[in-house]
Amino acid sequence: MAALLDNLVPLLQGLSATLWMAVLSAVGALVLGVIVTAMRVSPIPVLRGVAFAYVQLFLNVPLLALLVLFVFALPDAGLLMPLPMTAVVVLVIYEAAYVAEAVRSGVNTVALGQAEAARALGLTFRQTLGSVILPQALRAVVQPVGNVMIALVMNTSLFAAVGIVELTAAANKTNLIHAQPIPIFVGAGLTYMALALLIGLGTGWLERRVAILR
Amino acid sequence: MIRRVFLARVVTAGTLAVAMAAAGCGSGGENAVPPAGGSSTSTDLLADAPVADAAAIVPGSTMEAIKKRGKLVVAEALDAPLLSQQNPANPDEVTGFDADLAKLLAVYLLGKPEVEIVPPATETREALLANGTVDVVFNTYTITEERAQQVDFAGPYFESGLAVAVKTGNKDIKGIDDLGGKTVIVGANTPAVTEVPKRQPTAEVVQFGTDPQAVTALLQGRGDAYVQDITLLASNAKANPKLTVVGNPFTTEPYGIGLKHGDAEFKKFINDWLKKIQDGGQWATAWKNSLGTVVEAEPPTPPAIGSVPGS
Amino acid sequence: MSASVLYDEPGPKTRRRIFLWSVVSALVVLGLVVLGLVQFAKHGQLDAEKWAPFTQWPIWEYLLVGLLGTLEAAAYVAVLSAVAGIFLALGRLSRVRPLRWLATGYIEIARTLPVLLMIYVTLFALPSAGVNLPLLWKLVLPLTVANAAAFAEIFRAGILALPKGQSEAAVSLGLSGGQTMRFVVLPQAVRHVTPSLVSQLVSLLKDTSLGYIVAFTELLYRAQVLSAYNHLLVQTFLVVTFIYLVCNGFLSFVAHRLQGWRRKREPEGTNG
Repeated sequence: MAALLDNLVPLLQGLSATLWMAVLSAVGALVLGVIVTAMRVSPIPVLRGVAFAYVQLFLNVPLLALLVLFVFALPDAGLLMPLPMTAVVVLVIYEAAYVAEAVRSGVNTVALGQAEAARALGLTFRQTLGSVILPQALRAVVQPVGNVMIALVMNTSLFAAVGIVELTAAANKTNLIHAQPIPIFVGAGLTYMALALLIGLGTGWLERRVAILR
Repeated sequence: MIRRVFLARVVTAGTLAVAMAAAGCGSGGENAVPPAGGSSTSTDLLADAPVADAAAIVPGSTMEAIKKRGKLVVAEALDAPLLSQQNPANPDEVTGFDADLAKLLAVYLLGKPEVEIVPPATETREALLANGTVDVVFNTYTITEERAQQVDFAGPYFESGLAVAVKTGNKDIKGIDDLGGKTVIVGANTPAVTEVPKRQPTAEVVQFGTDPQAVTALLQGRGDAYVQDITLLASNAKANPKLTVVGNPFTTEPYGIGLKHGDAEFKKFINDWLKKIQDGGQWATAWKNSLGTVVEAEPPTPPAIGSVPGS
Repeated sequence: MSASVLYDEPGPKTRRRIFLWSVVSALVVLGLVVLGLVQFAKHGQLDAEKWAPFTQWPIWEYLLVGLLGTLEAAAYVAVLSAVAGIFLALGRLSRVRPLRWLATGYIEIARTLPVLLMIYVTLFALPSAGVNLPLLWKLVLPLTVANAAAFAEIFRAGILALPKGQSEAAVSLGLSGGQTMRFVVLPQAVRHVTPSLVSQLVSLLKDTSLGYIVAFTELLYRAQVLSAYNHLLVQTFLVVTFIYLVCNGFLSFVAHRLQGWRRKREPEGTNG
């Protein structure tokens, strides 16, 4: 217990790193995921193909391999960014694929009649998608997208493998010095649980708030 | 419906069958590495290696248990070039200074180099020794007084040190003293993590999990210098002309052979063996075959056994 | 709803516009790819000598043995956590309150812990408590603990999605609760969620890459050892990413086909 309290500063620093990287990644993944879904249902075959390939690629490759590749291969492809930024970009691209899948299933559950009515009213593709379909689809998938966000927060713990100091890395470092694994890892575990709980409560509140009452 | 269910079952069964077959002809989970039947560096080394006489194997001791088991279990890395590196073209072959010394110890104990390698994960070497998973640790294990409270050290068997490497062409940094205020790359869980802040409190330290990652990061400009054990740096510099080692080692890192805490008998046994191979020339041959290939020098004098606090 | 419902059948003007946009987007994508490759080549990452080691069979054999390790660990985790998942799902749906609380508690806790943390616990906390597992189990145990909860939720969703009429009919036929579950509910529920199960399998297989932390002989750890040996970090990891893509892509393809067959069999539910 003492080990936990004595080292509160580095652990809290790790936690704040986890938080800002998670929030940034979440926002990016949501935006990119919706864009990819839009591409997936668009009338342009090339965009549909690119979106399909994108989702398949990032759903099937482990995040760890992607992290190593992006951190160490991207600079040679011409893009050198600070380490935390690179990791955030990787997580955005990776989780956007999951968001895209979730939103796409949401689009599929929107009633056929909605799209038909929109077309009958003369709305263009962009208007149909933006004003009729997506709002309903997003409302339907609040819970699955919430789960993706929880997974995103858990995945920030992998940043430790490429040298970024976030909560898990800080916990590991503290344990190496003090060799008190139980209080340190239990503390870190409880923190992640608290974060997941917060996200869960948030999605529950959001779901109730935007529920479509028919 | 029956056909679809059947098909799904076939697919599941097929996947499981492949996995089970893999379990059968895979490495069996445990990272057991049978001895390299005559790898080029080791045959001459092991040919005249000393073997302990029966009197040294005291009944009831660790040595006897190992002898009965028939193999020596060593905590050793598989990805440390020049020290203990697995050869992907022949995964049974692990070569390097630490690897060869472990084989020599096995020959001394058992008469043949029967070594089982357990790669230590992040800093579990003390735990591996404490619960008996491994008999000894040959893993560039620096002797420190804190560690000596949890494990025993035989040796030291080699003295190395931390040094600085930079991108070739960098004229600003000539050694540890020039690293003030710079970004310094270190390997995670290495002594550099604590040494660099001690020497240069203003330096910004970035950790990377493995040596190849750290080297790539340095060459891509994520740091100004890379601080690591000089043997690893020399090996990297040899393989990659874009990397240069600058200055001399600024710390001394005595490597020891880790063993279970409190096992004085085994410690004396290992120290006797160490003296024998130092006198018999096998130590020097092992050095020449591994570290000697990147350093232009004669084999150094091995450090005096027991000369470091903690050993 | 199929995509073409979102837009009218394209007329000649729209067809031209679609063609134009197709060409533009294709050029943009190709342009980015070419730019990336050119930069890569400039830094020497496309040099033949850097890729030459990967034309030799022993290197591939080394990596493929790693893949076998991955599949082996994944098989153990899949079977164990699926079985545990079924029991947990049943526990969570049980009428016995303490059982329900235990199951729910376990699932909620295990789902909200990062797998990496659980691996560290197995690596550090258990040995200090005297429990030291063989290497395979150091990886399989934390993954099983995490995935059992995920499987439990999938099974539970499948069981709950089954129309109530099924279990009611079974009960009216005289089957006991246990028999209903075993012969009527579970088989249908499992069939219903097979695609989700296969996705979980893919996710589980990717999690085995964390085996490198315990130095288990799986693909990513072997990639690490290989890159230490040949000093070719980028090339090694590109090759390994490709192997994962092929392996998991195959599993996802299987999931997709299973979903297709199911949809053909069961008509789309009323969403209107």
